[in-house]
Amino acid sequence: MQSSVTNEHITTVLLVDDHPMVQDGLTACLSYYPDINIIGTTQDGKSALTMALTLKPNVILMDISMPDMNGIDATEVITEQLTSTKVLIFSMHDSLEFVNSAIQAGASGYILKDTGSAEVYAAIKAVESGKIYFSPSIAAALADNPLEEEEEKSKLTMREQVVLAYITQGLSNKAVAKKLGISFRTVEAHRRNIKTKLQIECLADLIRYAVNNGLIDS
Amino acid sequence: MILPLHLFYIAVVQVILTSIVIFFFVTSEYRALSNYNLQTLKTFLMNQKKQELQNYTSLARAAIKHIHPVGDNKNETKQEAVEDLLNQLLYNGDDGYFFAYDDQGVNIAHPKEPSRIGKNLWHLEDAQGIKLIQLLINNAKIGGGFLQYQWKKPSNQQISDKMSYSTYLEEWQWMLGTGVYLDDVTQQLATLQQKIDQHINKTKQIILIISLSSIFVIFLLGLAINLSHKKKADKKINELGQKIVNLQEDQHRHISRELHDGIIQILVSIQYSIEATTILLKHNKQDKPNPLTEAEKNLKIAIQEVRRISHNLHPRILDELGLSAAIAALANDFSKQTKIKISLTKPKLRKLLPDNINISLYRVVQESLINIEKHAKATHVTIDLAIKNKWLTLTITDNGIGFSASKKNKTSAPTESFGIGLRNLTERIEYHCGQLDVCTSNQGTTIKANIPIHVFAQHFNSNAQKNNIQKSSPLATDPANTLPDDTIKRT
Repeated sequence: MQSSVTNEHITTVLLVDDHPMVQDGLTACLSYYPDINIIGTTQDGKSALTMALTLKPNVILMDISMPDMNGIDATEVITEQLTSTKVLIFSMHDSLEFVNSAIQAGASGYILKDTGSAEVYAAIKAVESGKIYFSPSIAAALADNPLEEEEEKSKLTMREQVVLAYITQGLSNKAVAKKLGISFRTVEAHRRNIKTKLQIECLADLIRYAVNNGLIDS
Repeated sequence: MILPLHLFYIAVVQVILTSIVIFFFVTSEYRALSNYNLQTLKTFLMNQKKQELQNYTSLARAAIKHIHPVGDNKNETKQEAVEDLLNQLLYNGDDGYFFAYDDQGVNIAHPKEPSRIGKNLWHLEDAQGIKLIQLLINNAKIGGGFLQYQWKKPSNQQISDKMSYSTYLEEWQWMLGTGVYLDDVTQQLATLQQKIDQHINKTKQIILIISLSSIFVIFLLGLAINLSHKKKADKKINELGQKIVNLQEDQHRHISRELHDGIIQILVSIQYSIEATTILLKHNKQDKPNPLTEAEKNLKIAIQEVRRISHNLHPRILDELGLSAAIAALANDFSKQTKIKISLTKPKLRKLLPDNINISLYRVVQESLINIEKHAKATHVTIDLAIKNKWLTLTITDNGIGFSASKKNKTSAPTESFGIGLRNLTERIEYHCGQLDVCTSNQGTTIKANIPIHVFAQHFNSNAQKNNIQKSSPLATDPANTLPDDTIKRT
C-alpha cells in the first residue's frame, strides 16, 4: 500500500503536544497514512518555534495547553514568520473562545483531540490545501454562535500587545524588531494594526492608553 | 498580643479595692487627727476660760478688798457696798457676772437673778442632779476650784453648760463665784466638727470621682485596645480567609491541570492505541471485535467526564486566554442552558491580570449568573468588562426582580446563601484592594466589582519581559536577526 502512493505529494507534519503518550498514539495512527510524514515532535510552544523555523513543515499539529508558551501564542508567532506553514490546532478545549483566539492568531483549523485519526488526516490535508477545517462539533457550535468578527477584530493580539508595550516604553520600531527577533516591516505592520484597532494616531496617546489600561506601569 | 477581658476586670477590681482602702485609711487618719486637734482645742479653750475666770475672780477680789468687815458682826452697809460692787462687776455683756453665797448656802449677791438674794439655796440642783451650791462652796473652801453644771444663760434665757470658779472670802465667810457659759465652746467645736465632716465628705467625693474616672479611663482604654485588636484580628481573619481561598483555587487549578494534562492525555493516547489496533485489524482484514467498540465508547465517556470535572474545578480557558475569553465562554454556556441572553463587552487588551485576580473576577461572574438563574427571573444580562480612569470595572446587570422581591417570593435560605456568597465575593475583591458594590431594585440588579489598575499594572509587562527571552530564542537561527547575546534555552 505504501508503494502505491510514493508518487503522491507527502505532507510534512510537526507534532506539538506536551504529552508523549498522545504523540506516540497519534504518530502510530498517522503512520498508516503514507502521504503523511511526521518530521518532528516537540512538547512546548517555545521549542515549536525553533523547530518550525528549521524544519519548515507543511502543517503543524498544535496543542493549546502546554508549558512554555501556549499553542495559540506560538501559532501567532509562527504564522507571523512562516507564511507557507499552516497551523492546525489539536486540543481538548471545545470552547468557542479558543477557536476564536486560534483563528485570530492565524490557525487554519481546529480539531478536537478525541476525534478519530481519519478525521485528523482529513483535516491535515484540508488545511494544507489552504482550506479552513473545523471538527464537526465545533463547526456546529460555530453555526449556532457565529464568531463576533467585528469585536474580535478590534481586540489586540498577544503579539500586538507586546509590541505596544515596547513602543510605549520608548523603543523604536527597529529596537522592537531586534528585541522580538522579527523584521522591521513586521513591526511596522503591527504598529499600523494597533493604531487602527485602538483608533489612536500619535505615540503620546498610545502611551496614555497603555498606562491607563494597565498594560505598562506608570 | 491580645488584652483578655479578665485582665480588664482585674484592673477595675483593683481600682475599686484601692479606692476603698485609700478612702478608709485617709478618712480614719484624718478623723483621728482632727479628733486629736479638737480635743487639744477644747482643752486649750477650757484652759483659756479657766484662766479667764481666775483672772476675773482675782480682779473682783481686788475690787472688794478695801471693804473689810469689822469684828464678828458684819456691818450691814459694808455688806451692801460689797453687794453693789459685785452687781456692777459685769463682763462679756450680760453673761459675765459674780455671785456670792454664805457658807450656809444663802445667796448674798446675784446681779442677774436678784430674786434669789437672801434665799437659802443649799439644796439647789441642776437638771442633772448636781447639788451645785454645795459643790461650789466646797470648791471655794478648799482654795478655789472649777465646777461644770447647767444654768440659765441670761442673754438668751436658755439652760446652757456653765463652768464656774469659786473662791472663799475668808473675812466675809462667803463663797464668791463667777462662771462662763460653755455653749460658745460647744458651738465652736461643733462647727469645727462639721467642717471636718465636710472635708471628709469632700475627700470621699474626690476619691469616688478619681476611682470612677480611673475605671472609665480603663474602660475606654480597654475598649480602644480591644477594638483595635478586633480590627487587627478581623483583618488577619480576612487575610487568612483569602489565603485559604487562594490556596483552594491553586489546588483546584493544580488538580484540574493534573486531570487535563495527565489523565485525559493518557486516556486520549489509549484512544489512539485502540484506533491503531482497529486500523491494524482492518489491514489484516479482520473485523473489529465488539468489546473493543465498547471500550472505545466508554473511553470517550470517561474523557468527557474527566474534562467536565477538570473544567468545574478550574476553567483552563482563564489561564490560556485570559479573563474576557473565559467570561465569554461562561456566558455562552449560560445562555445555552437558560435561554437568558447575555451581551458582553470586552476590553481591547488581553491577559493583563494575574491569576488570582482573574479567578476572583471569574467567580464574581459565575456566582452572579448562578443567582440570576436561580432567583432573578431575568430575561437579559449585560456583562461589561472595561478599564476606565485607572480602574478595572466588571459590571453585571440583569433586568430581573431584584433581591428584595426574590426574598419575598422564596424561602429565605437561598437569599441568605446569596448574602454569604456576596460577602465572600466582597472579601475576595477587597483582598485585591478593590470594592464590590451591589445595587438592587425591582427593576433588576447591578453588581459592580472595581479593582485599581496599579494592582496589576506591572503584570503584563513583566510577563512579556519574561517571555521575550523565550520568544526571541528560536530566532537566533534566523539569519536576518542574529542577536549575539541571545541564549537558546531548550528543554
